[in-house]
Amino acid sequence: MRPMNPENTVIDIDNLVRRFGSADAVNGLSLRVQLGRCYGFFGRNGAGKTTTIKCLLNLLRPTSGRVKVFGLDPARDEVAVKSRLAYVPDAVAFYPWMTVRGTLDYFASFRERWNQRTEAALVDQFRLDLRQKTSHLSKGQRTQLALIAAICPEPELLVLDEPTSGLDPIVRREFIQTVIGAYQDGDPGRRTVFVSTHLISEFEGLIDEFTIIEHGREVLTLEADAARARYQKIYAHFSDEPGTLDLGGAHVFRQRGRDVEVVVNGDSADVMERLRLRSPETLTTEALTLEEIFVTTLQPGGAMV
Amino acid sequence: MRFKLNFKSGKPVYLQVVDQVKVAAASGSIQAGEPLPSIRPLAEELRVNRNTVAKAYAELESQGVIETVAGKGSFVSANNSPLKKAVRLELLAQEIDTAVIQAHHLQVGKAEFLRLAEDRFDAFQDKRDRAATS
Repeated sequence: MRPMNPENTVIDIDNLVRRFGSADAVNGLSLRVQLGRCYGFFGRNGAGKTTTIKCLLNLLRPTSGRVKVFGLDPARDEVAVKSRLAYVPDAVAFYPWMTVRGTLDYFASFRERWNQRTEAALVDQFRLDLRQKTSHLSKGQRTQLALIAAICPEPELLVLDEPTSGLDPIVRREFIQTVIGAYQDGDPGRRTVFVSTHLISEFEGLIDEFTIIEHGREVLTLEADAARARYQKIYAHFSDEPGTLDLGGAHVFRQRGRDVEVVVNGDSADVMERLRLRSPETLTTEALTLEEIFVTTLQPGGAMV
Repeated sequence: MRFKLNFKSGKPVYLQVVDQVKVAAASGSIQAGEPLPSIRPLAEELRVNRNTVAKAYAELESQGVIETVAGKGSFVSANNSPLKKAVRLELLAQEIDTAVIQAHHLQVGKAEFLRLAEDRFDAFQDKRDRAATS
C-alpha cells in the first residue's frame, strides 16, 4: 500500500458494518479513495455496494465502523459533506410535471455554483429537449438529465451508483465517458469519481483504481494498470495432448484437447517456464481485462487473490 | 496522429500513449512544432480517463519529447532530434525483447534467432529493391 496523505483522502471507510436484522449487508469493509481518482467499486448485485454508498451519504447509519468523506463525518457534518458532492442513484426520479429546463433550475437552486456552459454543452450533445416534461423522458434520457444535474454544480466528489445499468448498451458507454470527461475537465486533479457497477467493461479505460466486494467485504483492491499487469491469461497449444500439467498451483482455466488456458496472478514467468518445458507449439500471454479479473476473482474455488 | 490502445497487452495504458507519441516523433510522422490533441478530446476518443492522458503528457514532457505552452496546448519539441536515434533504438529494443521472449518459449536458440533476423532483413531488402525496379 502507498503511504496515504489524510488531506488527500476523499473517502475513508474503515471496518464498516451495516446490518439489516440478522443479515450483514456490509461486513467489515475498508477502503480509501484518493483525491482526483476515478475509483471503481465493483461487486455483484447484492454485494453491498448500494448500502456502502448510502452510509457515505448518511442515508443509512453504520452499525459499526467509521466512514469519512472529505475527512468529515457524514452524519455530524451532513450539510458540509453533501454540499461538496453529487450523487446519482441507480433509479432516478424527477417531478413528472416539471420540464427538463424546470428540473435543471430546481436542482441549481440548491447549489452555490452551477456551470451553465457545461449544462448547455451536455444538453446539446445529448439532444435533450428543454421543454419536454420529465415524465416523457426515456430511461436513458432520465439518466442523462441526472448526470448533467450532478456535474453542473462542480462538486468535488461525484458518486455514481450503477449509472449505466438498464440502459441501451451502445449509448451508455458513450455518455458515461462524456460526462466523466466534462466533470474532470473543470479542475483536473481535484475531481474525484466513485462509481459502483457490475457492468465493468464499460469502465475499462476510465478506472484508475478499484475495489471488488463480495458479501460485504473487500476481496481485491488494485490500481487498474497494476491489475492488468498481474492478472494474465496464458494460452498454450501442444502437438499432443499434454495430460496433467504441474503448474505450481496456478489455476487451469480451460483444458481442451491440445489447448490449455491458464490464468495467473503475478507469477506468469514461472508458469510460462513450466509450460515451456513441455514444448508447446505456441505459447502466448495476454492481460485480463478488469471485467475478466472481476469474474476470475469471484469464481467459486478460483482462489486467485 | 492515431493512437491505438490495447488493454490486453498488460502494459500500462499511459505508457502505451507515451511510446506511440515517441514512435511518431522519432519516425517523423509528427514534426517538431506540431500540436498534439488536447487532453479531454483525446481521453474521450481513446475511452480512457483524463488522468491517463495527463500522466502520459507529463511523462513526455519530462522526457523532452513534447512541450506544453500554457493555454495553447502541447507540441512536439524542436530539440527532440538529438534524442531521436537513441529513442528509435530504445523503441526497437522493446520490440526485439518481445521477439526474444517468444523465441525462448518456442525453444529457438540465439544463433538460430540471429540467423532468422538476418534472413528477414534480407527478405525485406529484397522486396524493397524489387519494388523500386518494377
